[in-house]
Formats: sequence, C-alpha cells, structure tokens
Amino acid sequence: MTADNATNSRPIIDVRGVWKRFGTAEVLKGIDLAIRKSEVTCIIGPSGSGKSTLLRCIAFLEEYSEGEIYIEGELLGFALEGGKRRRVSDAEVARVRRNVGFVFQQFNLWPHMTALENVAMPLKLARGIAREDAEKRARRMLEKVGLGHRAGAYPSQLSGGQQQRVGIARALAMEPHIMLFDEPTSALDPELVGEVLQVMRDLAAEGMTMAVVTHEMGFAAQVADTVVFIDHGVIAASGSPQQVFRKDENPRLRQFLQNYFERNVFWQGGEDAAS
Amino acid sequence: MSFNLAILTDNWREILDGMALTILIWAAGTAIGLAVGLAVAVVQLFTNRWLAAPLALYVAVMRGTPFLIQLFVIYYGGPFFGLDLTPLTAGIAGLALYGGAYFSEIFRAGFLSVPPGQIEAARMMGIGRLDIVRHVQLPQMLVIILPALANMTVLLSKETAVLSVITVNELTSVIQSIGSTTFAFAETLLFLALVYWAFLEIVTAAARRLEKRVGRFMLRSQS
Amino acid sequence: MFDFNLIIKSLPMLLEASVWTVVYSLTSVAIGFCIGTLMCAAGLSASRLGRGISAFYVSFFRGVPLLVQLLISYYCLPLIGVNVPSSVAAVGTLALCTGAYLAEILRGGFLGISPGLIEAARMVGLSRRQILTRIEVPLAVRLTLPALVNETTMMVKASSLISVVGVLELTRLAQNIATSTFQPLEIYLTAGAIYFVINGAITLLGQLAESRFRLETAR
Ligand SMILES: Nc1ncnc2c1ncn2[C@@H]1O[C@H](COP(=O)(O)OP(=O)(O)O)[C@@H](O)[C@H]1O
Ligand SMILES: [Mg+2]
Repeated sequence: MTADNATNSRPIIDVRGVWKRFGTAEVLKGIDLAIRKSEVTCIIGPSGSGKSTLLRCIAFLEEYSEGEIYIEGELLGFALEGGKRRRVSDAEVARVRRNVGFVFQQFNLWPHMTALENVAMPLKLARGIAREDAEKRARRMLEKVGLGHRAGAYPSQLSGGQQQRVGIARALAMEPHIMLFDEPTSALDPELVGEVLQVMRDLAAEGMTMAVVTHEMGFAAQVADTVVFIDHGVIAASGSPQQVFRKDENPRLRQFLQNYFERNVFWQGGEDAAS
Repeated sequence: MSFNLAILTDNWREILDGMALTILIWAAGTAIGLAVGLAVAVVQLFTNRWLAAPLALYVAVMRGTPFLIQLFVIYYGGPFFGLDLTPLTAGIAGLALYGGAYFSEIFRAGFLSVPPGQIEAARMMGIGRLDIVRHVQLPQMLVIILPALANMTVLLSKETAVLSVITVNELTSVIQSIGSTTFAFAETLLFLALVYWAFLEIVTAAARRLEKRVGRFMLRSQS
Repeated sequence: MFDFNLIIKSLPMLLEASVWTVVYSLTSVAIGFCIGTLMCAAGLSASRLGRGISAFYVSFFRGVPLLVQLLISYYCLPLIGVNVPSSVAAVGTLALCTGAYLAEILRGGFLGISPGLIEAARMVGLSRRQILTRIEVPLAVRLTLPALVNETTMMVKASSLISVVGVLELTRLAQNIATSTFQPLEIYLTAGAIYFVINGAITLLGQLAESRFRLETAR
C-alpha cells in the first residue's frame, strides 16, 4: 500500500488508496500515486475516466471519499482521530494546499479584473503583500509568460492562449511547490496551443514539479518523467514515456493510443510518439 | 405588550367590508389596467407615431413617478379639470392608469415575440389587422407573457393599500382607524400584515399553477 | 388658471425636500443591498436554517405592502421600547423591504457566476469572505445591473410613502404646500416632475455604468 519505495526524497504529493464516489458512481477506485520534487507527471486516459476528478481531489476541490492524500507530508482535508477521519476547516485546507497551484481547462480568470489584477489580487488578499510589491511581482510573472505588454487588458480582450498564460502566471505568483494542470490546452484553438505548451516546457526545465492532465501526447513524450494512464478510475499503466508509449501490453492503453494517433496523425512518419 | 384579539372580532363587520372593498378595487383596477395596457400597446405598435409618442410619454411618466403622487394629482387635481371624483373612483382610476402603463410594456414585448412571418402569412390571406391581433397574435403571446402579467397583478394588489391615504375605506384604512380609536396598534397592524401576506402567497401560488397549466396546453397544442 | 408663479415660488423648497428623498432612498438601497447580499448568501448556503430564514424574510417583505410595513414600524416599534426618530425607522423599513427584492435579484446573479471562478479563488487561498466581497458580489452586480438600477428607481418612488408616517421629504412637503395654498394640481405635478427627473438621472447613470462594465462581463 505504501508508495514510498526506493527513492530518498519524500514525495511532494502522495496519493494512497484514494476512492471517489459521486452518489453511487465510483469514479476513482483506489488510486496510488506519488509525485516527487521536480518531476513532471502526465496523466492520460479516455474522457470520463476520472483524470480531472483525481486532480481536483489533489487540490481538494472535491472531497475524496476514502484513502489519504498527503501534501509535503501533511494529510489534506482531514484529520485522523482514532481511526476515523474528520473534515478540517476551510482555513486548514487552505493552509495545507497553499503550495499547490492549479491551472484550469476553462482558464477561470475573473472577468472584472485586468490581467495584472488577476495575478496581484490574491497576493494582496491571501498573502497580505503590500500593493506595490504585489503588483511588481505580478508584472514579473506576466513577463515570464510573455504577457508583460498586456497587463492592463481585461480577459475579454485576450485570446484563449493569452488567458491561459495569465492563468498560469496567477498560479505561479503564489510561488507554488507543485503545479496541477487540468487539460490546459483543450479549450484552445489549435494555433494557440503551442504558446501555452512552451510556457509549460520552460517551467519544467526550471525544475517545477508538475502534474498535467493532457491529450497532447507529444508534450507528454518530450517533457514527462512519468506517464500515468487512467482508465475507469484505476491506474491501468504507468512508467516512463518510453515504457508507456512503446512497450505497454495493456490492450485498453493500446486502443486509446491507437485512437489518438488515428485522429491526430495525418501524415505517416509523424514525430509524435518518437523522440 | 399583550394581545387583545377581541378588538378584531368586535369589529369583524368593518374588517370584512374593508377586505371586500380591497378586492373590488384590485379586481377593477387590474381589469381596467389590462384593457388600458392592451389598447396602449396596440396603438403604439400598429398606428402612426403621432399617436405613439404621447403614449410613450404616458408610460414613462407613470413608471417614473410615485403612485402616491399620481393619486394626489388625480384626486386633488381632478377638480381643476372639472373632474370631481370620489376617493374610490379616483383610486381605481389611478390604479388602472398606473397598472396600464406596466401592462402595456408587457403586451408590447408579447406582440414583438410573435414571429413576423405568421403575420405576413395572415395578411396575404386578406385577414384584417385587428383580426390578426385577436386571432393570431394574442393567443400565442398570452402564454409567453402570462408570468409577467401575473407578477404585475400581484404587485397591484399591494398598491391598493396606498389608497388609504386618499381616504378610500379599504382594508388598510379600516384597520388604521380601528387602531387609532382603540390604540391597539400591534394587534390590528400585525393582523393586517398577515392578511396581506396570506393573500399574496395564495394569489402567487395560484398564478404559478395557472402558468403551469397554460404552459402544458401550449406544449400539447404545438405537438 | 394654471398658476406657474406658484410653481416657480415653491420650486426651491421642493428641490430642497427632494434632497431628502434622494438621501433616504439611496441610503435604504445601500443598507438593503447589504441585507440582500447576506440573505441571498444564506439562501444559497448549505445551512437549512439559513435557507429557511432567507425564504421567510423574502416572502414576508415582498408579501406585505410597504405602507403596512411602515405603519407597523411607526406604531409598533415604540410599543416594544424602540424609540428612534421616525425617519430612522422609515429608512430601516425601506431598507428591509428593498433588501428582499435585492436578494432575489442578486440570487440570479450569484447563480450566473461560473463555479470555476470560485474554485480559482479558493485555489489561490482567498477566504470565504474575500471570495464573497471580491469575486461574487462584484460579478453578481455586473450581471444584474439593469435590475439593480430599476430597483433603485422603485425605491425612489416608494420613498414617497414615508410621508404617511410623518417624515419630511418631497411628497410630504408637497402635501404641506398643497393644503396651505389650495392649489394641489400645480404642486403635485411639480413634485411628480422632480421624481421623474431623479429617476431619469438614475437610469442614465445606470446605462453609463453598464457600458463601462461591458468589457468586464464578457467572457
Ligand atoms: N460533480 C460530479 N457529480 C457526478 N458525477 C461526476 C461529477 N464530476 C465528475 N463526474 C463523473 O465522473 C466521471 C469522471 O469525470 P472526470 O474526472 O471529469 O473525467 P475526465 O477528466 O477523465 O474526462 C465521469 O463519468 C463524470 O460523469
Ligand atoms: Mg477532464
């Protein structure tokens, strides 16, 4: 049951035997997953298999029904008392996950604030940073994602790719130890996907710990340290990109990858799964 | 503070009269108001703008000024034009004119919701303009605007209380005079509030049911 | 004869009284907005008690004529030992009444906010209260602005009823002048015109705000 094996460092995220039910529907059925510092974990799988739910449980946007999730060694969302678990206060949840950043498929920028305010406001309110310092840091973050020149724009004036980069800047500004991405490019027009993936590549190169739900197999193949294939709420395969994309014997995974390539490769000899 | 409910039972005759008058005012005001509203909407939409412009002003004025001031103008200002109205007539006229302005906006929106293609079709067959309104547009739009009409009707029932200020002997006025002769303000006024509250809840619930029934009829007749 | 001189003579007094009308109605809308926000939040909360209180409040204050509410606060507050100036009691009553309507309006706004925006706020560590005041209320206001402006004009009109419980404002002053001059038509028409202008101005401001907010509500 423990995921702590060979490696020396304690995982930043440690998911142990997690179940999630919505009513009677079992969406996650005993997930074990450890994510270590500076690792990039890509989570792939068919639609409806539970990828978002897993990520949302790690962020405690959903309460998991069973099991444990540790963030840097601290149990998330619950306190164990004599074998029973008790939901802790919202403030306590916020404390434990303060080092977790989340990037949403739908960006979720606040429409009544400019790009700069979207990034600076949480610094002021949640971290109590003085306005000037908060705005300075926000500006730096926007420059980092290549949007220094759009700081004064409202979300409605930005393209999808730009909005998502502001979303990343907003999460980064909180100086997280791990970034969770839930299909960050799925809501984007195809020509805007690249700019967002580039920002994520840069982040990975800097050593940011990341968990990325994605359908971008090229990105997963190039950037991931670990690829996790989720199917019907269980981890059906996991390993290095080579292991998962090349050698895996799991028939469901083979089917999934085949569907993907049929949809995406129109020219034989594509570089997607290679590298 | 103690409650002396005998004050209410002792005066049940006056109270019942007050209630009856309130309901009469409400019904008359709403009925005339609906007629005024429909007429205003039809004239605004289907005649020339020399008639429409003053009506637009009427609607804007009725919506932009307090009902109480409108009552004062009609009741106290009426004699200036040789209109010596009783409080009751002035009150009903005021309620109808006030409601009519709001109703006309609702009817207008209703007329505009009927697809123009249907009207053109009826025209091509040589049906007269008023007949198109009556037989093609009204039946369809009534279903759509029913919730708004019901809502306004409920609002008007509350405005009837304002008529007490120009000495119409409706429920609020009756209760107030009982209160000020007996000094039993708490009993009388709380009773008054409860009566209105219960009445409005009942009317609102009835309106909801009516909307549902009519909505079902609409679905069936379309299929 | 229609007496224009009387109108010109009494206009300064009426305008002065209309300042009170504006003060009373805007104050009650401001207080009512806070009450409405809390009641709306309670109505949408997970707490059964909160939802019950909210439903009761909205139903009562929308179900009883404002005039009756004003009479109750005027006559009954002293009976339970609350002795406040009649203007305070009247504004409080107006606020409670408009709060019920505002709660219903804001409810629509709150429900129109995409849940992801709240989740994003939780993920960057905003507290429940910060989310309410910095995200939900500003967005709900932008989404429901036309209805909020309309409710404000309704309150300007409704404030004329506080003349009945003896508070001096535009309608009350008009009554005083009308009874002393025996020329009610001129005075009430003037008072009506002033109300009309006030509400016109509020509507105009509302439209300005709406066009200013257009950028901030588009998705
Ligand atoms: N709030 C919810 N209530 C009920 N069912 C849900 C809820 N969220 C997700 N589900 C269900 O859980 C399953 C997994 O959803 P999700 O994690 O979003 O899948 P994925 O992200 O892999 O496409 C789906 O069948 C979905 O219908
Ligand atoms: Mg998903």
